[in-house]
Amino acid sequence: MRPDNFQQEQQALLQLVLGAADGVALPPWLSAGDATQARRAQRGLQAYRANGQALAERALTAAYPVLVQLVGEENFAALARHFRAFHPPLCGDMACWGDLLGGFIGASAQLADDPYLADVAHLEWRMHLAGSAADVPPDPASFARLATEDPARITFTLGAGVALLASPYPVASIVNAHLTGSPSLQQAGQRLAEGRAEHVLVWRQGLRPRVRVSTANEHRLLGTLMAGRSLLDALEALDDAPDAVPFDFNAWLGEAVQTGLAMGVHSLPTTEGNP
Amino acid sequence: MFPSGRSSLFLDRRRLLAVTDSTFFTTGIGWRHPHYACLLEAQPELDFLEVHSENFFARGGAALAVLHEARQSYPVSLHGVGLALGSAAGIDPWHLEQLAALVERIEPVRVSDHASFARGPWGGATVHAADLLPLAFHRQSLDVLCANVQQVQDRLKRRLLVENLSAYVRFNTCDMSETGFLSALASRSGCGLLVDVNNIYVNACNERLAGSTEDPVRACMAWLDQIPPHAVAELHLAGHKDCGDIVIDDHGSRVCDEVWQLYRHALARFGKAPGGLATLVEWDTDMPSLQVLLDEAASARALQALADSAVAA
Repeated sequence: MRPDNFQQEQQALLQLVLGAADGVALPPWLSAGDATQARRAQRGLQAYRANGQALAERALTAAYPVLVQLVGEENFAALARHFRAFHPPLCGDMACWGDLLGGFIGASAQLADDPYLADVAHLEWRMHLAGSAADVPPDPASFARLATEDPARITFTLGAGVALLASPYPVASIVNAHLTGSPSLQQAGQRLAEGRAEHVLVWRQGLRPRVRVSTANEHRLLGTLMAGRSLLDALEALDDAPDAVPFDFNAWLGEAVQTGLAMGVHSLPTTEGNP
Repeated sequence: MFPSGRSSLFLDRRRLLAVTDSTFFTTGIGWRHPHYACLLEAQPELDFLEVHSENFFARGGAALAVLHEARQSYPVSLHGVGLALGSAAGIDPWHLEQLAALVERIEPVRVSDHASFARGPWGGATVHAADLLPLAFHRQSLDVLCANVQQVQDRLKRRLLVENLSAYVRFNTCDMSETGFLSALASRSGCGLLVDVNNIYVNACNERLAGSTEDPVRACMAWLDQIPPHAVAELHLAGHKDCGDIVIDDHGSRVCDEVWQLYRHALARFGKAPGGLATLVEWDTDMPSLQVLLDEAASARALQALADSAVAA
């Protein structure tokens, strides 16, 4: 018996493939009601499910290499299976899939004993995005404008993939310990045991995503710049900070230029009343 | 570009043939991450590199940079796995725009995808199965596939090649043969066909397991003979895995003897078509050294030379 329309036919197969359980009843238009054909159809569906699971693991492993190390490959495979069942891909580019994994982990009762894992996932996703962010060409000559132009009319051109994260856990230390060995795993573990919080900065230096511990002041500065505001606004945000910890702008700028965080200076778009 | 190891006299003849009746073969390999660096370093003589389009949808970063580097030395064929051309839910406009941007950047020698579906409603959203799910071969399905292929061709302003699948379930609502379905697709939409020889053989092996055919090679030859030669622009070669109760198209081993035999048959049938015939060696799992892929490509070229001689004779 044929389904009422072609769309239902595809929808039914899609649900059989995305569904987790083997042995579900097959529609007659797939098995013809014959036992041998039904067995073959079940075996075929099993092949599709296995391929989907393997692809899900590969895609998430590429985006979350530290998380794999933290929970172990077997647990990560189970996590990928559950995640795919709740949040199947919405598009055909698997590199875009997995953005909701941090929230999924945060809501998981099974992973509640390791609450830092959700923020590790949030951080790794930002690094994943930084890896494929649009290239930003450096414009070193433009930094001369800092000395000659009104800071209310210019702003920094930031590097590719800049993102900020504030976590109650030392997630930059955890991630760097696993990816670069600095700090050591022991040091990262100690910071976690001490309950240290971290402001985290993600960006791409050349072709390589980078992550480092940041400060509340740097977050204020970069957050203002990322909102499309002027350099003057960013500096004033530092002054308005409640804790008002001194910030050495010149030292920050030197490092930001050297590490590809600040790529140049450009004019703000002209707006009405601000010609 | 012409295959290596041939005399200048031979090359001259090939060029003449190319000018007079456009009969010529090209050969490339699937270029995957483990071979990015070694291929760029070795620069082997290949007519083109094939990549999966979706792996280069990023707006920047390392993957796109390495593809641009390769493009300086090789024509690139963009082979998609995610357009889901046969989906009743339609083409994802975001996906099509990413592909169009990549086509503009890379200027590929060919653009292709599969006669499959993957998109559909699920829990209030339209999801993507991230797989090549089979189509039922009937009129409704053909109408959808033709309309979607036409939409892609209109956006890309170029001809698309559409590949036959290895399928592990079959709809018994079909009222057309697969070859009739694909031939009608090419005729109605103007798209080209990409014939994956290994996929045909995998399907025939599974049909043998189901008891519906006794001789897979003969069944595949009959399949090839039902495809209009003028529509075919590319052939795919790959390995597969026999699991005992099912044969899986895993692209993880050398091309088997039976598929080489079918490839010879395909060259004889499709090699006379105007516009040339490309051959791709695919390998996607259990990646071997680059040299193994180049050896497989050399084997394909040797068979092309035989077919070429037959055409010249």
